[in-house]
Amino acid sequence: MAHAAWRYVRRNLSLVVGIVLLGLLALFVGIGHLVVDTNKSRPLSAPAIRPPSADHPFGTDRQGRDLLATMVAGTPLTLRIGFIAGFLGVGIGSILGFVSAYYRGAVDSIIRGIVDIGLTVPGLLVLIIIAVSLRKGLTVDQMALIVASLAWLNPARTVRAQVLSMRERGYVEVARLSGMSGPEIIVKELMPNLLPYLAATLVNAVSAAILASIGLEVLGLGPIDSPTLGMTLYWVNFNAALINGWWWWWTAPIAIILVVFLGLFFLTVGLDEIANPRLRRVI
Amino acid sequence: MRDLTVHYDTPLGAVRAADRISFSLCAGERLGFAGESGSGKSTMALAILRMIQPPGRIDGGQVRLDGVDLLSLGDEEMRRVRLARIALIPQGSMNALNPVMRIRDQIMDGLTDHGVRMSRREGDERVRELLESVGLGRDVAERFPHELSGGMKQRACIAIAISLRPRVIIADEPTSALDVVVQKQVMETLARVQKELDASVILVGHDMGLMAQFVDRVGVMYAGKLVEVSPVREIFTRSLHPYTRMLIASLPSLEKKGTFSGIPGLIPLLRDLPPGCAFHPRCPEAVARCRTEEPALREVRPDGWGACHLV
Amino acid sequence: MTTLLEARHATRIFGGGLFDRTATLALDDFSLAIDADRPAITGVVGESGSGKTTLARVLLGLTAPTTGQILYQSQDLQTMSRQGWRRFRRDVQVIFQDPYGVYNPFYRVDHMLTTPVAKFGLATSRAKARELIDDVLRAVGLRPEETLGRFPHQLSGGQRQRIMVARALLLSPRVILADEPVSMVDASLRATILASLSTMNRDRGISIVYITHDLATAYQISDTIVVLYRGSVAEIGDVELVVKQPRHPYTQLLLSSIPLASPERTWLTAKEPVPVAAADRSDTGCKFAARCPSVAPPCREAAPPLFQTDPARAVACYLYRDAPSASGDHSEPGRSSR
Repeated sequence: MAHAAWRYVRRNLSLVVGIVLLGLLALFVGIGHLVVDTNKSRPLSAPAIRPPSADHPFGTDRQGRDLLATMVAGTPLTLRIGFIAGFLGVGIGSILGFVSAYYRGAVDSIIRGIVDIGLTVPGLLVLIIIAVSLRKGLTVDQMALIVASLAWLNPARTVRAQVLSMRERGYVEVARLSGMSGPEIIVKELMPNLLPYLAATLVNAVSAAILASIGLEVLGLGPIDSPTLGMTLYWVNFNAALINGWWWWWTAPIAIILVVFLGLFFLTVGLDEIANPRLRRVI
Repeated sequence: MRDLTVHYDTPLGAVRAADRISFSLCAGERLGFAGESGSGKSTMALAILRMIQPPGRIDGGQVRLDGVDLLSLGDEEMRRVRLARIALIPQGSMNALNPVMRIRDQIMDGLTDHGVRMSRREGDERVRELLESVGLGRDVAERFPHELSGGMKQRACIAIAISLRPRVIIADEPTSALDVVVQKQVMETLARVQKELDASVILVGHDMGLMAQFVDRVGVMYAGKLVEVSPVREIFTRSLHPYTRMLIASLPSLEKKGTFSGIPGLIPLLRDLPPGCAFHPRCPEAVARCRTEEPALREVRPDGWGACHLV
Repeated sequence: MTTLLEARHATRIFGGGLFDRTATLALDDFSLAIDADRPAITGVVGESGSGKTTLARVLLGLTAPTTGQILYQSQDLQTMSRQGWRRFRRDVQVIFQDPYGVYNPFYRVDHMLTTPVAKFGLATSRAKARELIDDVLRAVGLRPEETLGRFPHQLSGGQRQRIMVARALLLSPRVILADEPVSMVDASLRATILASLSTMNRDRGISIVYITHDLATAYQISDTIVVLYRGSVAEIGDVELVVKQPRHPYTQLLLSSIPLASPERTWLTAKEPVPVAAADRSDTGCKFAARCPSVAPPCREAAPPLFQTDPARAVACYLYRDAPSASGDHSEPGRSSR
């Protein structure tokens, strides 16, 4: 059993690295919540502009936030945006992709048209416009919904492509001849075979959603009061922390963002290997 | 070929796809290798050209062409041998043609790669000759593969294979995707070019009827082992192995109805071979010795080799 | 004679729409009737491009003919009611060529058998369903304990194909359409599968339509043979007559092209191959005219109808124009109704 596990690690190193990275992050957040007082992530909880010390291991920022508390509190918020947007996006996108590819005809043309047009429009621009139009203060969940509004486009297209090739398979025909209805075939025959692929798409979508949300936040269009990673970077920018030499302020969020994206990237590569048997290396 | 062995590394261990295959091929001879799936015939054909890719590896044996052991050559030397001395018509070769290159360019590819320097006119002439020798009109040179029918593509592949006048032509199931009428044309073409070149042909396939009508000697393979090598007539009249007999009996004839019966049981998985003779679980003539001792291929009579305890 | 499944002047054209200039005539005025009273095995022999796959799909109702009708128990498939379709789907089963693609790799092979049982309500309890499945597996020579619970990739092509045959049996059909059922199976296993088809016809009274390119296997199990050439019937009749005394030049060409597994070597000839022009499609006249050694002027003008040259055989060739014309809907040759 252990031998088989070790062989798999050698075969699919990416998957393991990805899981380890994200696992470390989860540990950081989990233990952090137990050890650190997250209230200190609010402004005026600590003396301002202190470099890392025993009291404040990550230092403090200009508004008096303890940065360790900020990271511990903010990371899950950023991730949450990514997960909600990613799941919503892939969920809606897959359903539309399935329906579009299986039934074809007018439905397919409409959905495909929307997706094709939607994908050519610069996404960040649309998100900025939406964010700017919402005058009232944004919450984290509203951020998620904004990002999700565009996140479904790519999954719809890729799932459609996969299903288009799958629907010609012999087993779909046999299922039809056995009396299965369209929706039944989609759910029972097609979807199980797509699960690995959907998992990979999901991780991809989460990654893209996090990036989009951080992008919006850095521009100042995010939930202003939340200590998310992107907002922290916004404040870094706002207060010219780079020029002022307050390196601890921007090092922490960037390091965490790096871990997040590397972890998700390796996870995607690892899942890709599962989803696409042709990529498998044989040890 | 002597004692050629090819292994494939799988997550479940090494699998022997070809086990100590030995045979000899004379100049101008047509030798057929017949076997079903898992018999190792395609593996063996690729091994001759050292075209086994990982996770497969050649694990021993010799392949001598005119006295030179091909397995001991360096990569560059082996590359020169391919096409020039031994040519392969691969399985599904219709799909081996580059879809975005004209036929002429694909033929020239092989020639220039082996250092043949020709002017444009000489090249055209050579291509035209080659196409003519396989029964294709000169207009085919300018065509793309998708503009040709299956049989024409296959003949184009033969043209590429003979372009450097090789000594040995290995044809791996050259007609399995073709209609029976086209198959005959392609095989007649192959027979003709072979005679013109005075080359030898190794035909790998599963169609015993094709073997019977085309080759001079037949090697029958089962589960990675060569179980019989005999002149083609004797394969049918006095075969040296029960598998050969039963395989022939399982072929549908066009003479009488209701005369064909299958071989019971299943072809064994290469990673799970039975002890002793690999065929014994399905053999109606098996005795105790067959279950424990693997029979070696031996010359039972002049030019008749069988791997069976009962001959 | 009452017909069970019938194709009446079925024609199927692919493409040829507004933006597609190349229309392919896959099936051309094809008629065939399967007798309800005397279940027989009908072999349909054709090369690639003969339309045999299209024929299978049209007979199964998977595509509709461009013109003409497919009738099941005298009801046109296109206008059949939902109940009619349900009955059709039970009574007419298929065995596909590819024993790999027809299995969903996600499920064990049991799924292939349990789905029709569930969808057609063939058993009232899990135990009864299991019993039914065990029965049909044994009927095709498989052992349930060795077969069920496995994934498709764990079984051989021959085993998978036999499970397909078992699946066909589950619904106690009246017609089984076998589309190249053994061409992707090893030679030594073909006989077993074909034997079970034969047994099903004999013992259970199931009519079989055996579609193949392999004339030898078609000869072995069929009672009647239909030779298809580019969507039209070249020759149709009793299998012994067609194979032993072929009349249509195409049938003769087919038979002479088959390499026989016998010690006599008469197959290879020293003929120069005729360079077949890429475009030898003629729109009018006999489709075989371009390759026919006996071609004559009338052949290029109009496609020949079927001539009843023997009581149990008809040929579509002007060489036999002196024989009486076979009627439009040829079912059992010799039983043409006028």
